[in-house]
Amino acid sequence: MPTITLPSRCDRAAAEALLPEMVAALGSGVMHIDARECRQIGQVMLQLLVSARRTGDGALIEASPALLDTARQFGLEAELFDGAAA
Amino acid sequence: MNAEEIQAIFFAECEESLAAAEQGLAACKAGTHDADTVNAVFRGVHSIKGGAGAFGYVALQAFTHTFETLLSDVRDGTVAITEPLVDLMLRALDVLSDHVTAARGQGDTPDDESLQAELTAAMAANAGAAPAPVAAPADPAPASSFDDEDDFGIDFDSMLDDIAGELGSDDAATAEQPVGKGWHFKVRPHAGAMRNGSEPLLMLREVLELGAACVECDVGAVPPLDTLDPCTGYLGWTFLLPDDVSESAVRDIFDFVGEDCGLAMGEDAPLPALRLPQPAAPRAAAPVAPAAPAPVADSAAPVSATPAAYAPAPESETARAGAPPAPPMPGQSIRIELGKLDKLIDAVGELVIAQAMMAQRLAGDGLAVTEELAVLEGLTRDIQESAMAIRAQPIGSVFSRVPRILRELTTSTGKHVRLDVSGESTELDKTVIERLGEPLTHLIRNAVDHGIESAEDRLASGKPAEGTLTLSAEHRSGRILIRIADDGRGIDRERVLQKAIEKGLVAPDAVLSKEEIDALIFAPGFSTAQQISNISGRGVGMDVVRQNVKDLGGRITIDSEPGAGTTFTLTLPLTLAISDGMVVNVGDQTLVVPLANVVESLRPAPDEVQGLGSRRSMINVRGRFIPVVPLYEAVGARGATEKAEEGVLIVVETEGAGRAALLVDAICDQRQVVIKSLDTHYRSVEGVAGATILGDGRVALIVDVDGLVARTLSGHALAEAA
Repeated sequence: MPTITLPSRCDRAAAEALLPEMVAALGSGVMHIDARECRQIGQVMLQLLVSARRTGDGALIEASPALLDTARQFGLEAELFDGAAA
Repeated sequence: MNAEEIQAIFFAECEESLAAAEQGLAACKAGTHDADTVNAVFRGVHSIKGGAGAFGYVALQAFTHTFETLLSDVRDGTVAITEPLVDLMLRALDVLSDHVTAARGQGDTPDDESLQAELTAAMAANAGAAPAPVAAPADPAPASSFDDEDDFGIDFDSMLDDIAGELGSDDAATAEQPVGKGWHFKVRPHAGAMRNGSEPLLMLREVLELGAACVECDVGAVPPLDTLDPCTGYLGWTFLLPDDVSESAVRDIFDFVGEDCGLAMGEDAPLPALRLPQPAAPRAAAPVAPAAPAPVADSAAPVSATPAAYAPAPESETARAGAPPAPPMPGQSIRIELGKLDKLIDAVGELVIAQAMMAQRLAGDGLAVTEELAVLEGLTRDIQESAMAIRAQPIGSVFSRVPRILRELTTSTGKHVRLDVSGESTELDKTVIERLGEPLTHLIRNAVDHGIESAEDRLASGKPAEGTLTLSAEHRSGRILIRIADDGRGIDRERVLQKAIEKGLVAPDAVLSKEEIDALIFAPGFSTAQQISNISGRGVGMDVVRQNVKDLGGRITIDSEPGAGTTFTLTLPLTLAISDGMVVNVGDQTLVVPLANVVESLRPAPDEVQGLGSRRSMINVRGRFIPVVPLYEAVGARGATEKAEEGVLIVVETEGAGRAALLVDAICDQRQVVIKSLDTHYRSVEGVAGATILGDGRVALIVDVDGLVARTLSGHALAEAA
């Protein structure tokens, strides 16, 4: 299971940097996204996580409290965390 | 970009925001405001608040929050714009400016407690008026209550801090919102809302703070990873807002981003459409279809091909698709480190010299007139003008500080002064602008302290009680003229002369012209103030003013009318780097006369030149007698033509001494010259504005025409008077 680790600041720059890494990990099973260190998150990273969940075998996201809060506030809790993978 | 650089941008933007707010409040004061005016003030204060929060300037953030809340009420019309209110807001702006200065570490944090109380008392909620439609925090004071406040007009990645950690505090409010009542608001941030570090979630969080609850996030448009473009906004949200929150309050949140966020109001309104970079691309239609499972099903196929397929960056993908580059947005700008710009200016200067040297070399080979050389010359000039234009800034940034100076002077002197400003969009070099602030401040303080009379005196002399200070700027003959005029009592020349004699600055029996007496106020240590105040009267100001202006390559002149007022005119160069000049020979020297001063050149007939006294001569130019100034005398050249009829006369226009005719041996050329400061490389020399390197590598002095003519003619005048 390929693991992608998210940085503390998940802004647009971080998302742009991680996208090729995620694309490269496609096809190797469910992606494991370690977001336990994530303290800040922006729209671009949210989109990336949604896309990761919906692409290929999907993704399992281990979230930090900050990410969980943001997802809950902006209606993405189920989309990002329901079930083992999409 | 590191945190310090981002912080520097924040402070630069603070200056712009303060200037915009000052301008807006000045319009309110003058009664020329409209809805946009108040909005501009609000935006300025709001931007500062956002940055202050991001950088942890708690006191600045707390103050801007209170100020902004009042401005919000004013903007919504729940607090009427009255003169006392505008005065209160102007005072608040001054304190805000002090807060910014303190945040920069250049001053103490101002004591704003009483002012905060005044601002709070003026709010709609506390004035017995209808409650403000925008839900403002009830207690604006404790910083912790809005530690996580946000903003969206400033390009700081770090502002993501605002939306991350402490989200728990908002949950309660959101959870209490009864779902099913209220109205629906739909939003889809587009690419522009995520550009340059802007973050749509910051705005959405402001919506939540109004009491909204997120009903749904539409993820149907999010494509698989291999076709995801991080520059595109794929998510769309539907929020439910309480009935007491107005539609305009929500729209205001998205004011700054304009078209970059699609907005829709009402349950039946469709979610704003997705905006993809390629409008005609076939996959643009698919994602907006409501069927969410489709992208998931489609996503399996391209997986194996993805690593290579995604190699190009999103921008190059767009370019490859043939999409035309977006036209520049009006008013779009970038910030450039000044050092880089100076390097460019230096390089342009060297280019001008190299071009001149090549032209001279080719001329020596008999190739002076070639088409390519003319093209090169034209291009060099274009590059020079463009480079200079980058450094040019409107003088309004200096003028915008004046209202505050006047307010402070009103407080300390009791004199009410109306300010008239014109030509604030006139542009000149950034360095000139930066160094103009201090002399301008001195002149304004002097105008109010010495020039404008007290209200009683003004009424007694038939003037309105309120004084008028006029500030103007205009371009003229490649230079900029800045006038500071007051309608005060004018210079008391008798008193100035008496004081100068007392101080030993002039001989007791000296006979001076009006201009010479006026010029005495620039003498070091001169002051006629009855009492030394903290504003002026120590006699250091005007001397420093003249030196500052001279250092900028400019001149200052006075025009004063007893009882009617005084006008100070500053004549400054547009740039300090390159100038057009006439290259002339005077004996064994080559000099450059700035073209900005040159009116015409002529070879006089013997009967056109007439002697005056033992040393002076005048030339009759079409019936007008102009004094002849022999340049060889001024610069000590050897072997020069001494008779006007044997040389060439260059008629020049000066600010202080009218026209004069410079006597030179011959005119060699007319060209652009790169000004090298004598102050930097040698020392300041009276009558010399700088030096330059000519095409053949020789150094030529650039004549300070105004200074040289004024000095030569006044020398004669004084000699004759004595």
